[in-house]
Amino acid sequence: MSTLKLSMQDKKDLDKFTRFLALKAAQIIIQSRSGEKVSTKCKPYSSGTDWFNLAVHEVPEVLTETKKLLIGEIVNVTIPLCIEISLKTCDDELMVLEAWSLGILPEQSDPTMRVTYTIYNRMGILLKSLLSVSRVTPAYKLSRRQGPDSFIICYRIYLGEPQLHSLGDNYKHVRVGQLCTPVGTIHLSVSYRTKMTISPTHAGRDSIMLKSDHFHSDLSPRHARYQQSEETSKSLSDTIKVGAFVVNKPVTVNEEDFVIPDVPFSSLLTPRQTSPPPASAAETTSTKTASTIIAADSSNGNSERLTNDNTTSKCNSQNGSRRSSCSMTSANDDFIMKTPFAITNTNSDLGAFYRECQSAPQLQAFMEERTLAEQVGDLTKQLETFETNMRRYEDILSSLCQTENNN
Amino acid sequence: MNARTQLFELSMEGRQVDEAVASIFHSVLFYRSLGKFKYKQEGSYSVGTVGYQDVDCDFIDFTYVCCSSVHLDQTLKREISGFSEALRSTDSPGSGQISLEFFQKKKNRWPFQPECIPWEVWTVRLELIKLATEHERQICREKVGDLLTDKILYITEVMNRHDYLPKMPNQAELDLIFDTSYPDIQPYLFKLSFTTSSPSSTTMGNTMKKLIKETLSI
Repeated sequence: MSTLKLSMQDKKDLDKFTRFLALKAAQIIIQSRSGEKVSTKCKPYSSGTDWFNLAVHEVPEVLTETKKLLIGEIVNVTIPLCIEISLKTCDDELMVLEAWSLGILPEQSDPTMRVTYTIYNRMGILLKSLLSVSRVTPAYKLSRRQGPDSFIICYRIYLGEPQLHSLGDNYKHVRVGQLCTPVGTIHLSVSYRTKMTISPTHAGRDSIMLKSDHFHSDLSPRHARYQQSEETSKSLSDTIKVGAFVVNKPVTVNEEDFVIPDVPFSSLLTPRQTSPPPASAAETTSTKTASTIIAADSSNGNSERLTNDNTTSKCNSQNGSRRSSCSMTSANDDFIMKTPFAITNTNSDLGAFYRECQSAPQLQAFMEERTLAEQVGDLTKQLETFETNMRRYEDILSSLCQTENNN
Repeated sequence: MNARTQLFELSMEGRQVDEAVASIFHSVLFYRSLGKFKYKQEGSYSVGTVGYQDVDCDFIDFTYVCCSSVHLDQTLKREISGFSEALRSTDSPGSGQISLEFFQKKKNRWPFQPECIPWEVWTVRLELIKLATEHERQICREKVGDLLTDKILYITEVMNRHDYLPKMPNQAELDLIFDTSYPDIQPYLFKLSFTTSSPSSTTMGNTMKKLIKETLSI
C-alpha cells in the first residue's frame, strides 16, 4: 500500500496539515455566513497561527467545535467533515441552504507527491478557492441580509455525509477543489439549494390566511362551471362536473383495458363521439390518441370518467396549483359519464332525470305564496333567535380565531 | 513557450466595467500572489501571510474576495480605469478588451533589457450596452452578477488544475519571477494592457504593426 512508503515524519506532517486544513476551512465557511464583510491584514512575517500563508481569523467558538469533532483523528478516511448552513426565520422555521463537505478519497492517492512543500501550498490554494466560491453561492447574499426581525443564518458541523435531501429539488453541486496526497485525494465541495421558497404550509401560525383570489372570478371553479353550462350543447356528457376537491391526477390505462369481452354493456365504453353532432365529432377524434380513465371520487359513486388525451396533458401538471385545476374543468371538457345500463342516446328519460338532478331544485319558499304579515312575523321571530344566540356566535368566532390555522 | 490564455466575453453597461474587470482580475491575482519572501540565508526563506477582504460592487449584485493590499488595488484600479474611460468615451467603438498578463523575465546580455516571457494571459472582452429604464438596469445588475459568478467558478477550476507556474527562484533571481515592489504582498510579475478597437479589426496590417512595435521595444 502506498501509505507504507510514507516516512513517519511525512505521515505526521500530512495528518497535521489535513487537520489544520479542516480547521481553517470551517472558519472560512462559517465566517463567510456571519453577515459581515471579512477583512484580514497581510503580514510580511507569518506567525504560528497563520497556516498556509493565509491570514484567517479564528472565531474561538468555531475552533472549539471543530476541534471537538476532529479530536485525536484527522478528517476520517471514510467520513467527511460536513458543515451545514441553514436559514432560520423568526417563526423558527428552518431551511437548509448549503452543505459543505471536506473528505478524503483513499482510492486516488499519489505516493510521489512531496508532503512538505507541494501539499502545503496546494492546501493554501484550496482555501483560496474556498474563499472565492463561498462568496458566490446564493447563501452568501442571504447571509448578508440576515437580521433578527427576518431570518438568521445558522451552521452545524458534523462528521458524516452531507444530507443532500434537505436541500430540496434541483440543488446544485460545485467542486471547490481537490488535491492528491500520498494517502488519498482530499476533496472540498458544496451542494446548495436553488429553490428558496418556504412552502405555504409553514406560514405564520397566528395570522389568519386570507384567500386573495376569492373575488377573482376567472380563477374560481364556480366560474368555470358556469362557463361550461352556458354552452349550447347540452348532452349528458357535456354537463358532467368535477367535484371541487377531486384528485385530478389521471391514471393512464391502455386502451385494451377498456375492452371487456362479451359484456352486454360494452357500448357504454365506446368513445363519446358517437352521440354529439358529427361535425364536432370529427374534430375530437383527430386529437384523440389514447383514452385515460380517472377513478371517480366517493361522491360520484362507482361511475367512471373517461377523458381524452388533450385534457390529460393539462391536468398532468405536477404543481397542482389552483390555476391548473381550473383549466382542466373549463377548457375542452370531454368528460363522459356513462350511466350503467343506459343507451348512448342522451335525450332519453334517464338523461332528463340526470339533468334535473344536476340543477338545484326550486326552493319551497318560492313555490307557495305567503302573505306579507306572515313573512314579517317570521322575520322578527328570526331576529329574536339570533339575538338570543349572539353570545354563542361570538364564542364560536373567538374560538376560531384562537385555534391554530392549519391552512 | 506558449502562454496559457483565458478569454471572458461579457456585455454590460458602461458604469459596470470597472467593477466587473476588477472582480475578475483581483480574483486571479488572489491566487497569483504569495506572502512576501524574507530570506534568512541563501536557500532558506520564510513566506509572509496573505490577508484578504470582501469587496461589494456598487453597480453589480456581486461580492468578491481579493488580497488586502492597498498598493495592489491601486495598481489595478489605475489600469482598469484607463481602459474604462477609453471604452466609455464618445469616440469609442463600444467594445474593447483588457488583458492581465503574467510573465517572467529572462536576462539578456548587457545592452539589452531582459526579455519578458508571458506564461499566462487572462483577457476580458467587453461590449457596452445601453439601457433605457431603471427596471432594465436592475435586471442587468443581477445578470452581470450571475455571469461573474460563473467566471469565478471557472477561475477556481483553472487554479485547481495546478498547471505550470514558474519555478521558485533563488534570492538573486527573485525579481525575474515576482514583483517585489509591493511592501505587503508578492505577486507574480504581471502587466495590464488594453485595446478599444473592435475585435474584428485584427487585420494583417494591425498584426504586422504590432509585431514591429514589439520587436522594436525589446
